[in-house]
Amino acid sequence: MLGALAVLLAGPVPWALSRWRELRRTPAASMLLWQSTAAAAVLAALGAGLSLATDRLWQPPVAAYDVAVAAAAGLVTAVVAARLLLSGHLTGTELRRMRRLHRERVDLVASLDQGVSVLEHDVPVAYCVPGMTGSRIVVSRSTLTRLAPPELAAVLEHERSHLRARHDLVLEAFTVLHRAFPLWVASGAARDEVEVLVEVLADRAAVRHVDRRALLSALLALAGSPAPHGALGSAGSLQARVEVLRDERPHPVQAAVVVALAAALLALPTVLVVLPWLTGLR
Amino acid sequence: MGELEQAVLEVLWDLGSANGREVHDRLAGRDLAYTTVMTVLDRLARKDVVVREREGRAFRYSPRRSRAAMTAELMREALDETGADRDQALVSFVGEASEADLAALRRALADLS
Repeated sequence: MLGALAVLLAGPVPWALSRWRELRRTPAASMLLWQSTAAAAVLAALGAGLSLATDRLWQPPVAAYDVAVAAAAGLVTAVVAARLLLSGHLTGTELRRMRRLHRERVDLVASLDQGVSVLEHDVPVAYCVPGMTGSRIVVSRSTLTRLAPPELAAVLEHERSHLRARHDLVLEAFTVLHRAFPLWVASGAARDEVEVLVEVLADRAAVRHVDRRALLSALLALAGSPAPHGALGSAGSLQARVEVLRDERPHPVQAAVVVALAAALLALPTVLVVLPWLTGLR
Repeated sequence: MGELEQAVLEVLWDLGSANGREVHDRLAGRDLAYTTVMTVLDRLARKDVVVREREGRAFRYSPRRSRAAMTAELMREALDETGADRDQALVSFVGEASEADLAALRRALADLS
């Protein structure tokens, strides 16, 4: 029962969520839902093993069979926890190292223009380098010359929103999950969808300050040419962003439902797994 | 410190290679202590941006890459969306777009105007 919840949250739920395209219309609520699904899955996975183990050991009589089951459950739990910690550590240090090295070199070659680092290059590009100790928004000279002022403002607002909302940390958390359980968990689908949501959220934040038309034409101006050997994983995400940008109506009902769903998902393992376990200990 | 590092590196790009004294002379207008210049050169060497060679009792410094090559390298890192495991350290505003993506963008713009 408890393990079944973990399996459900690890596989079919993210799979279904990634197919529920309307979720993108309420990106903030959906982001919450994804995060609570992930947290609930981890909680259920760890809680299931622990509660099984304690169940067997706390209720006399304890047979040798019970000890064996408890040991197996404990071992599985320990492996899951260890994989998560290891993946978190590796992913975190690697990302931070890559970003620091990139930022150091940006600071050496880029010129600063109103807080934005400008690379002298004729391919248009705009991105941000997140970081605790100093983040950068980087554009190339070609971006500055190709975009009209409102378009540039839209791009910068989009990037600032990434940095403000620490979207990198959300993506990092899902990368950690994906790396910890790459095969038998729908963590890849989760990560891809969260990647789209992060962009949608930053787009939304940008059009609060600038005209939607400016953001759309900036996207058109900076969109790269198609990859020669077919599209990559991010294919389709741009169309998703355009769809959300076109959709002006608020969706308060959907947002409320999604938030409620997120709360319920998070409460489920807590109520089903953690509480009985805690009371069982007494 | 970052701005100073950039200034020192620019001197090295200009001269091709230089020792600490020469860099210090070039930056005379900034009124820097010689030791400050040496500290900066040391930091650049540690960041592996500058190569250091023994020259008598001092060191001779030269940039590992030209400014254009360094810029190109950064651009490559920013544009590379197929990096190992796709755990990108950098996410750009917009990546590669398919024909369908571009068509959707054009349609949206046409509908707005």
